[in-house]
Amino acid sequence: MVQKKEIRERLAALFSLKVGNISGQLEETGREFFCANNKLMDEDEIADLSSEFVSLISALLSSKDPFQRTSPQFHALEIFFSGLSQRMLMRGGHVEDVVRYAQQLQYSLISALEVDSGITFTQSRSVLQFFSQHFDELIMAIFRTYLSERENTLKAQEAELRETSTPITEIWDGVLTLPIIGTLDSSRTMLVMEALLNRIAKDHARAVVMDLTGVKNIDSQVSHHLIQMVRAVQLMGSDAIITGIHPEIARALVSLNIDLTGVTTRASLSDGLKEAFLRMGIYVTQKTN
Amino acid sequence: MAISGIHLTRIGKGNFLLEPRRSMNIQDQNMLMREIVATVQSAQGERLYYDLDGMPIIDEVYYDWLDKLARTCGAVNIKMVCINMQPTAAFTLSKFLTTKPVFETALAVPD
Repeated sequence: MVQKKEIRERLAALFSLKVGNISGQLEETGREFFCANNKLMDEDEIADLSSEFVSLISALLSSKDPFQRTSPQFHALEIFFSGLSQRMLMRGGHVEDVVRYAQQLQYSLISALEVDSGITFTQSRSVLQFFSQHFDELIMAIFRTYLSERENTLKAQEAELRETSTPITEIWDGVLTLPIIGTLDSSRTMLVMEALLNRIAKDHARAVVMDLTGVKNIDSQVSHHLIQMVRAVQLMGSDAIITGIHPEIARALVSLNIDLTGVTTRASLSDGLKEAFLRMGIYVTQKTN
Repeated sequence: MAISGIHLTRIGKGNFLLEPRRSMNIQDQNMLMREIVATVQSAQGERLYYDLDGMPIIDEVYYDWLDKLARTCGAVNIKMVCINMQPTAAFTLSKFLTTKPVFETALAVPD
């Protein structure tokens, strides 16, 4: 305990000496990682970043217990690195750059303090241990942010993909087409159903042609959802026509005892559209001269 | 045509529009069915459009009421058509329905 107090006092004393100089040396590190080739930051930003880091580390060292990694001062440092990591990733940087920057920051900080104090820290294990423990935790914060950002990006991409893979198009006044491509799972079926029902209400669609040409397999739960979707469309007062059922899907529907009574099916999307037009009293004929 | 909790309007020849009000109590369904059918029948109505615009959810109890009303209408050759069913209502109803409903459905009253 006495030893910890001594280290804290020594570190605080070191930081009160020449903070300005340290900040200058840290700026060099920042330039090396974020200004050199990738142009992720400008000079002003690097200067702000370095001085913010120095003031945060000074606050930590002059806090009641700098060894405590639950202190508000250490949490502020974690937020600093999380924010930096987030900013760099959004600008197209790599997590490795941020981690290497954090490591380099640690070395620069130690060497700057060595120069300023005239003490060789390599001989003072406790000081090195103090910094390495703290920086390890800060690097963890960088990784946590990176992983959470990646997760958010993946979720957003997944949602976008879902939306684009089930485009609901009004192909004619009052006729909607819904080509379903890929694997149908329960959550996707629910999303499609929600979007489709809202679109029917919005456009007052009288017929919906659901094309399953791009669906290669189907399970029991999904086939029930599909029938449920047809039923919901009919309940809203529209006609539902299913097209492009692969022989394999047809076989699966029969073996799953799915009742297709009351469901209009046609071989292809073109046949489905013809059926929809027929029901609406629309006749498409070739113009003759 | 004053029937407690509903608004029943004649729209064109043989067609009636039923708009339920918030005050409609389906516990009184026997009285409601009797009065609705009597009104439509006395005017030689053939079709009853039931407006579901204000019903975001249709549960089993409400569906049972619609089913009974449609059957009663059917018994005297009046066709019941539910219109303006909300997406949320269609979604919930499609979850528990196992057979085709007795009533017909349409987006709105035909022009």
